[in-house]
Amino acid sequence: MRVRVDPERCQGHTLCAMIAPKVFELDDIDGHSSAVSEDVPADAEEQVREAAHTCPEQAIVIF
Amino acid sequence: MSVDDVSTDDDRKKNRYDFDRHSPQYRHQLESIAQQMHEKCPVAWSETYGGHWVASGSREVFELARSAEFLSNDHDIRGERRGYKGISIPTPQRVASARGGFLEMDPPEQRYYRQALNPYLSPAAISRWIPVIDELVRASLDEKIETGRIDFVDDLANIVPAVFTLAMMGIPLKNWTIYCEPMHAAIYTREGTDEAARVALLHRQMGIDLATQLARIRADPRPGLVDALLRLEINGEAQPDIELFGVLGLLIGGGFDTTTALTAHALEWLSENPSERDRLSRERDTLLDSATEEFLRYYTPAPGDGRTFSADCEIAGQQFKEGERLWLSWTMANRDAALFPEPNTIDLARKGNRHHSFGLGIHRCIGSNVARTVFKRMIIQVLDRMPDFRCEPDGTVHYDTIGVINGMRHLPATFTPGPRLGAGLEETIDTLQKVCDEQGLAEPVTARKATAKIEG
Repeated sequence: MRVRVDPERCQGHTLCAMIAPKVFELDDIDGHSSAVSEDVPADAEEQVREAAHTCPEQAIVIF
Repeated sequence: MSVDDVSTDDDRKKNRYDFDRHSPQYRHQLESIAQQMHEKCPVAWSETYGGHWVASGSREVFELARSAEFLSNDHDIRGERRGYKGISIPTPQRVASARGGFLEMDPPEQRYYRQALNPYLSPAAISRWIPVIDELVRASLDEKIETGRIDFVDDLANIVPAVFTLAMMGIPLKNWTIYCEPMHAAIYTREGTDEAARVALLHRQMGIDLATQLARIRADPRPGLVDALLRLEINGEAQPDIELFGVLGLLIGGGFDTTTALTAHALEWLSENPSERDRLSRERDTLLDSATEEFLRYYTPAPGDGRTFSADCEIAGQQFKEGERLWLSWTMANRDAALFPEPNTIDLARKGNRHHSFGLGIHRCIGSNVARTVFKRMIIQVLDRMPDFRCEPDGTVHYDTIGVINGMRHLPATFTPGPRLGAGLEETIDTLQKVCDEQGLAEPVTARKATAKIEG
């Protein structure tokens, strides 16, 4: 599974980092999210799906 | 205007609903109104308040909130642009002297303000303050812990957000009492009453203190949100004081009552559902985050915002005309069964909770990290120090109307008394003032990354 956060859509709601803290990191300055790495560890796949589902801006892309 | 114009306009506005969110009835009928609108007209025209669109469906709210190119937040105070009326529907009776900060601005101007303030309000910035927040909560509870009686609004939820907001602004903490009452009372006091006159006076005193602080910080800089605004330049120019006051009003208005409302409602519900309260306390490591989001969804402290269409457009299958007003109902979108199964039930472990309570799009509440953090720190200490609290319905006072903030005025409760853990509120505030000053806590996260240290 690969994941990225669309920087045009992300508004810093921070829900993804709450759900999958090892996969998403938040910018110190504005709290916007980015994937630590595009590759998702197998044991984090369910969390990443949950994070994508939960993003209010639908900014998380799984590919 | 021809007969054809009238008939196509009627056709365009054929989905109608008589929507008055400032009526007392709305608070009690919220769920059934939301359901009706979701079923029949998730975007509806209402003749109330001069006529405006109301978006209640989650899909429609999503598309509208993200259509920034067609929706303006502008409040054209002096009629210099297109006469748009900002985010309040109806436009308040007392004439505004300034816009409500960057929430009533459009990009690019809006963006400059947010960029200036982000480093003070980001998750990383806020987490540095946790020891300070915890001390404020501890001291507030200590004032009441030996008596077995507390009002969760007056004695806790009104206090902590107010003092903390002043700390972030760089305003002396002991001044919190000048700000607290007018900010809360302004929301629920009806215009034209005797009470309104008293509240207006308190507001003026608050305004005077704000002006004094601005002048002081300009002359003798101290770190914080006020300092950031004083330093902000757009196209090489500092911003007029009147706009800075608008922003400070937004930060205070956004920072106080909303977090209070969320905390009070959550505590009331936990009192009514003691087994859920116990579960939350036991499982807080895995449940507190999702519970916080669920309380946000269900209670939606800031129920919505107004917009003006800046161009003719079609969004979510509905045609709109330039100049028409729109109410984005975060509250009703949060009860949309299409997005939230069993929407009118609180599920502390709810998954997929993409609620709208901090808005959507470029105007996402800049204080969202403050709200979540302050709420959680208050809840944790209440659960730990007064685990058997019971709220008293008799003294509980909800706001009559929830069109502006879904809030509470009083929430008295009893509990098994416990021991004090430290100094009282006044002494704690004095200590924290020194801590703030010595450690430069109100600096932006770009200047200081360290967490606050509180001795003893």
